[in-house]
Amino acid sequence: MSARYLVRKLLGACLTILAIVILNFFLFRMMPGSPERVLMRSPVITAEAKAAARARWGLDKPLIPDQLVAYVESTFTGDLGYSFKFRGKPVTDVLLGRLWPTVILIGLAEFFAIIFGLLLGAYAGWRRGSKLDKAGNGFGLVLYSMPYFVIGMPLIIIFAAGLGWFPTSGASTAGATFESGLAQLLDFGRHLALPLITVTLGLIGGYSILMRSSIIETRAEDYITTARAKGLTDGRVMRHHAFPNALLPMVTLIAINLGYVVGGAITAEVVFNWPGIGTLTVDALSARDYPLLQGVFLLLSVCVVLANLVADLIYGFLDPRVHA
Amino acid sequence: MSAATTDPAGVNGPAGPAPVVIHRQRFRGLRESLGRFSTRTDGLVGLGILLVFAVLAIAPALFVGPLETVVTATGGVLEPPSMAHVFGTDEMGRDMLNLTVHGARISMIIGLLATVITVAVGALVGIVAGYSGGRLDNALMRVTDFFLVLPTFVLAIILAPILLDIIGPEAELFGIRATLLVIVLVIGLTSWATTARVIRSQVLSIKERMFVDRARVIGSGSGRIMRVHILPNVVNLIIAQAVLTFAFAVFVETTLAFIGLGDPFAPSWGQVLNAAQSAGAPGLGAWWYIVPPAACVVLVVLAFTLLGNALDDILNPKSGSRR
Amino acid sequence: MSELDIRSNRKWPMPKQAVPGAPLLEVEDLSVRFAMRNGSVKAVDGVSFRLNDGEALGIAGESGCGKTTTALSLVRLLPANGRIRSGSVKLFGIDLVPKTEKQLARYRWREISMVFQGAMNALNPVQRVGDQIAEPIEVRLGASRAASQKRAAELLDLVGIPKQRAMAYPHQLSGGMRQRAMIAMALACDPAIVIGDEPTTALDVMVQAQILQLLEQLRRDLGLSLILITHDLSVIAETCDRVMVMYAGRVAEEGPARRVFTAPRHPYTRKLLLAFPNIHADRRTLDVIPGQPPDLRNPPPGCRFAPRCAEAMDVCREVVPPEVRFADGVRVACHLFPVSDAVAGEVPA
Repeated sequence: MSARYLVRKLLGACLTILAIVILNFFLFRMMPGSPERVLMRSPVITAEAKAAARARWGLDKPLIPDQLVAYVESTFTGDLGYSFKFRGKPVTDVLLGRLWPTVILIGLAEFFAIIFGLLLGAYAGWRRGSKLDKAGNGFGLVLYSMPYFVIGMPLIIIFAAGLGWFPTSGASTAGATFESGLAQLLDFGRHLALPLITVTLGLIGGYSILMRSSIIETRAEDYITTARAKGLTDGRVMRHHAFPNALLPMVTLIAINLGYVVGGAITAEVVFNWPGIGTLTVDALSARDYPLLQGVFLLLSVCVVLANLVADLIYGFLDPRVHA
Repeated sequence: MSAATTDPAGVNGPAGPAPVVIHRQRFRGLRESLGRFSTRTDGLVGLGILLVFAVLAIAPALFVGPLETVVTATGGVLEPPSMAHVFGTDEMGRDMLNLTVHGARISMIIGLLATVITVAVGALVGIVAGYSGGRLDNALMRVTDFFLVLPTFVLAIILAPILLDIIGPEAELFGIRATLLVIVLVIGLTSWATTARVIRSQVLSIKERMFVDRARVIGSGSGRIMRVHILPNVVNLIIAQAVLTFAFAVFVETTLAFIGLGDPFAPSWGQVLNAAQSAGAPGLGAWWYIVPPAACVVLVVLAFTLLGNALDDILNPKSGSRR
Repeated sequence: MSELDIRSNRKWPMPKQAVPGAPLLEVEDLSVRFAMRNGSVKAVDGVSFRLNDGEALGIAGESGCGKTTTALSLVRLLPANGRIRSGSVKLFGIDLVPKTEKQLARYRWREISMVFQGAMNALNPVQRVGDQIAEPIEVRLGASRAASQKRAAELLDLVGIPKQRAMAYPHQLSGGMRQRAMIAMALACDPAIVIGDEPTTALDVMVQAQILQLLEQLRRDLGLSLILITHDLSVIAETCDRVMVMYAGRVAEEGPARRVFTAPRHPYTRKLLLAFPNIHADRRTLDVIPGQPPDLRNPPPGCRFAPRCAEAMDVCREVVPPEVRFADGVRVACHLFPVSDAVAGEVPA
């Protein structure tokens, strides 16, 4: 992978992020009378925060270029404004506080979904038309059609409300004290279980379908015939020749998907009242907390752009054919 | 070739040259496509399921009577299924079967309108970009790629209250209230990019073939060429994409409604599930409140996906199975 | 080398089930069908031939005539919808057709290996060339990793590729080198038969000549038997002892290459030879065979070449021509040569 490729991709990513920041600027101001009207409408914000926001937004200056430049500058220095709902607390702080529950949930879910989804898809696609394939593919398609909350709600009914194995919501038991760190960890684990299963199942659907397609395409390639002609067992042909080649396009797809999942798992968090970015977004929505919403949008957009960048770089690294 | 031989059905007016030869292949292809479709069980199953829901959506009152409201509720609070209420009742005493069947109409209509916008915008951008080439194509594709990168779900969440503020909460169009209009707009605005890319690549390959018959189209304006020559050859692909978009639109609408962007007076399945979540149904074990609308969403999305995949395999020349 | 020499000079013992005195490869009445959406394609219909130790047999014919299918079916490498309907494939007298996939795998590559056309697609793009050659040695012959890598390097040397190139990926090699690498790979387990399916078609003429030269040299030095499949008659003329001309899934003519090329009997063979421009002859327009090969879902009854044959008689359109053997070693399936003619052994002008 050449340096030119790397620089080109990095530059592209930076430009896209800049465009997103600019979009963010204009989104808010599309509303009639904004931001004055919206800002002043909110009763919970303190006077100091109002003054600070006014100054930050440069509301007494012309829209372009002064306000725009000021906005872009402050964003890149980490100042994302002040939340209405949280009484003027800086958006950056609010976001950081809710980040790690989401990262844990999504991170672990992706980990399991990738392993199981790819394996399921590979075996189903390799034995195309067989019972395993029909079952696996059908299973994947159904899961793919289910929004996270549609998976989550029945799980709560059966395993939480019904069997009582897991709590119905939250990340920790309210008001409980723990004798040891281990006990606290276990409690967290019990709360994590159902949301984790929900998001994992939701992701497995898509991954297995994609991997299945990839392996079916790979199977038709000539070098698979060569491998069979060598008298290798079917299993070895699949593991050593088909799977690595089928995996190549999947790597980029997975990397790109990682970027979107953070935003997409919002409904999973809502169902379980999981204290992450997802529930934060929904709360911000109902409170019409625009600075916070914009902060979330920016955060997630940057995630997607970075994920795409990583995907491009990984592919350039993995595929020996890419000279770029 | 005179107009008479290429245009036997007289589908084009007397003005201007008849469409290029590719056009005739489309009619031959239709019969063949229908034949191939009849062998695909997945597509047929999808179509079957959709027909059932279409019937329910067109005239829900025929099956379950008018939509029950808080005032006209017929049952007790959160009753499990019984002879009187086959799917039980919600926390306001409304019959779940009633809500579910009416939800079909609302979910499908929103999905349909959103699909129309998405496909219209996507196809327009795709055709113009693919046909024009050069600077316009580059510019349009930059915008398209930008939209592809954005996390559209979050964008939708932000756009919704903004749009609602702009058009005013009291607005109404064709009897559809502001909240739902906003959902339609928001899905359309955030989902058109994939369609644009797909259509554009098809237009590019048509452009190649058209050069063979260039002589016939000299003299026609760009707009006419795009409308009369390119569009008919892309229609197949647009249809396949539209079906897949419909699946996506229903999926997204359900999710947005679940989050709270729906209309409590026109409850789609997502809105019903939102109400269920607010009422604490999962924790209470009130499965009857959740399973019917959830199952319907899954069935409809699955059906559209199956149908769309089958159509895409048959109609899209780039798709593998066509070989 | 005589047959006996080759067999006793083999690197590995003969398969246990081998029938003593049996020819190397004997294919009898092989028929292969492909199940398609709208009917089954009778791609190979009653093909028979024999390959002796140390021989090079060329299978010629236009695209779609069944030559590749015949070769693939010898080791059952057909795609999922292909099936051997009838016939026998006897290697050292052992019939491979009734064997299960597992039993058959034992013979693949160790007794019969293949060199495919278009090595760029036939080599695994994400695996180093040296590893691909070493793989059958390690997995099929049970050698250690080090020993198989060493052997792979020797094989590369044998085909004229510098040993360092073992670390390269397929796309890093030129077309000619890739083809040589495929040949090295085919020799990995010291097979008895190497089948080359259009091994030189994708290459330019100079490289083509080098590859053919290499094959010839290997054949002599290693005592290999070769089946060469190609539509290019000049390749066969250069390297093969015998040639089998196929048309629409059937054998038209088969015999010593020299005989068949200088005195072709079957009308199709004659047309095929005429289609090749002759540098020494006077200028004339190329002779083209009118029409298309038949649709093998519904082949014509009788001789499959009859619709395009200038000399077709009524019997040709109704009765499948029987195979007739001449004294000079040539077999023909054509009504122009009834069984009685075979005795005389004369060639019509």
